[in-house]
Amino acid sequence: MKNPIRETGRVTLKLMAHVTAILALLYSTISWSVMGPLRGKAARRQSIFEQMVFAGVQSIVIVFFISLFTGIVIAMQSAYQLKQLGALIYVAPMVSISMARELGPVFTALVVTGRVGSAITAELGTMKVSEQIEALETIALDPVRFLVVPRFWALMIMLPCLTVMADLVGILGGLIVGVFNLELNAYRYISFSFDLLTWKDVWTGLLKASAFAGVISLISCYVGLDTRGGAEGVGRATTLSVVISFILIVLVDCVLTGLFYFSNV
Amino acid sequence: MQINLEEMGGISVFRVSGDIDINSSPDVKKSFDKAINAKKNKVVINLKDVGYVDSSGLATLVEIFKNLRSLGGKLKLTNLSGKVKGLFEITKLDKLFDILPEEKDAIASF
Amino acid sequence: MSDKAANEREVVIEVKDLVRRFGNRTVLNGINLKIYRGETFVIMGGSGCGKSTLLRHIIGNLKPTSGRVILLGEDITDRYGSELDKVRKKIGMSFQSSALFDSMTVGENVSLPLREHTRLDKSVIDIMVTMKLELVGLRGFENLLPSELSGGMKKRVGLARAIAMDPQIIFYDEPTAGLDPIVAAVVDKLIVDLSKKLQVTSVVVTHDMKSVMSIADRIAMLYEGRVLEVGTPGEITNSRNEIVQQFINGSPDGPVRFFQQKGDYLDDLTQ
Repeated sequence: MKNPIRETGRVTLKLMAHVTAILALLYSTISWSVMGPLRGKAARRQSIFEQMVFAGVQSIVIVFFISLFTGIVIAMQSAYQLKQLGALIYVAPMVSISMARELGPVFTALVVTGRVGSAITAELGTMKVSEQIEALETIALDPVRFLVVPRFWALMIMLPCLTVMADLVGILGGLIVGVFNLELNAYRYISFSFDLLTWKDVWTGLLKASAFAGVISLISCYVGLDTRGGAEGVGRATTLSVVISFILIVLVDCVLTGLFYFSNV
Repeated sequence: MQINLEEMGGISVFRVSGDIDINSSPDVKKSFDKAINAKKNKVVINLKDVGYVDSSGLATLVEIFKNLRSLGGKLKLTNLSGKVKGLFEITKLDKLFDILPEEKDAIASF
Repeated sequence: MSDKAANEREVVIEVKDLVRRFGNRTVLNGINLKIYRGETFVIMGGSGCGKSTLLRHIIGNLKPTSGRVILLGEDITDRYGSELDKVRKKIGMSFQSSALFDSMTVGENVSLPLREHTRLDKSVIDIMVTMKLELVGLRGFENLLPSELSGGMKKRVGLARAIAMDPQIIFYDEPTAGLDPIVAAVVDKLIVDLSKKLQVTSVVVTHDMKSVMSIADRIAMLYEGRVLEVGTPGEITNSRNEIVQQFINGSPDGPVRFFQQKGDYLDDLTQ
């Protein structure tokens, strides 16, 4: 029979060690990003570009459909309520504000975790178990500079871009419901969507997107580089990285939303 | 690593001293690119004071050879030390380059 | 070799009292080794005797619990990052699983260290890649991906990558593991050829006895985290140590126990 107190302590210590290591990874990613170019050792632009294409451009279709349907669903759900108040036109800002503040960033981040984060972990995990990471170190190339930095910045750039797209497509989804089902005037719908949308709604959403990009890239790289135990280990690591990223995205979302809500920035 | 250039009747004689290795090869390449850009296509490289040529040095010499040949020019190597000659033989490059014992032989052979 | 002759040769690797523990398991237990310039030094021993772990300590990828490692005149025991990288640029390593970068072609794999660490023009690097691939007999394979190669070919590409920067020491981790006898012999011949042609020091970790005898100048026999014996192939063959003899002859009976169960069998059955 294991001693429950000792077990709790052991798990806590292990967890702390991982958290410390992830923060250390964040630190060395930032320091390579800043110091690397000064020492003539910048991450290659080509590899950042390749990662941006993979993470960003190739996610456009799936983000498009997810946010289109999300927009349609919110429009229908809010119409159900607003119809009773006779304020149907408020479907428009309802959709645009909830997309910008919440659903655009979060849904995009979840989609990108499933598509890009898992691929990063699987790739880095495979490299780890097949000695490729060690080979990089042995030819005097730092895996953080060579592998993590391009993936980190690719997501930092592309996730906010995808989020902006998701916001707009979501509004389009709402518009489809508004025009074809609720029989609202398209021009009026659009102007209502944007008139009530404040600058704060947009930038808090984009700030969330950047935070999520950091979470996804750091977690998926860390778990990938920490992989052990052959092909089976890679499978386990990939699942683990997606699960941790999902939890952290929702957690960070909750914290940031709370911060914006109470601070009245 | 140092390179001295002397013009002798339309023939450019480069005298190289020091090792041609991964650190100095890019500079060697630059010196010769200048000469090739100036359309000098009869080139002699005197390796008398070269102690060691690593693979980047050998590759650089091959690149110079290729560039000269595309200009219709010629490259001759002279005064190779025993060790350096051995490096050319191991990599089978002695069959590619025109290797002569002395500078004057090379100049006479154009 | 007499002691006097040994003293005159330059030591390129020195391992002093190296101890490494993982948890409460001692994997390396006081290793002392000297490896000289130009020789082919083989570290042999059974599976799990710590020979790969020793290799990773010598190249600085693992750090010892106690003891020191001096590589090419530099004490690398406490070195990390760019301080360690300075020494690493002078060595090459061929991995057991080849460790080729899957996303890069053969040519890109071999040229990676050159592209990252030197100011050489692309045209010169391309020529160097051709020269390195010629040395391992794979010229013309530049544009293939690792997934399109056989095991033996991958090993040789890994070797071409290891010699890309003209290293002073080449390390080989189980170079013949998983290869058929002919390909294994080809790789052995390549190791001997390269060390002759490039005049480098080679350090080979293996348990393949055939390979050991055909390539080694000197051999160190590792057993349970200790160096049992160091000597030329002739000296090792004639060793009086029973463990060494059992290993060379590949015999199942001898002082080395391959059954490591604890307790009494009949007790376990009837408990």
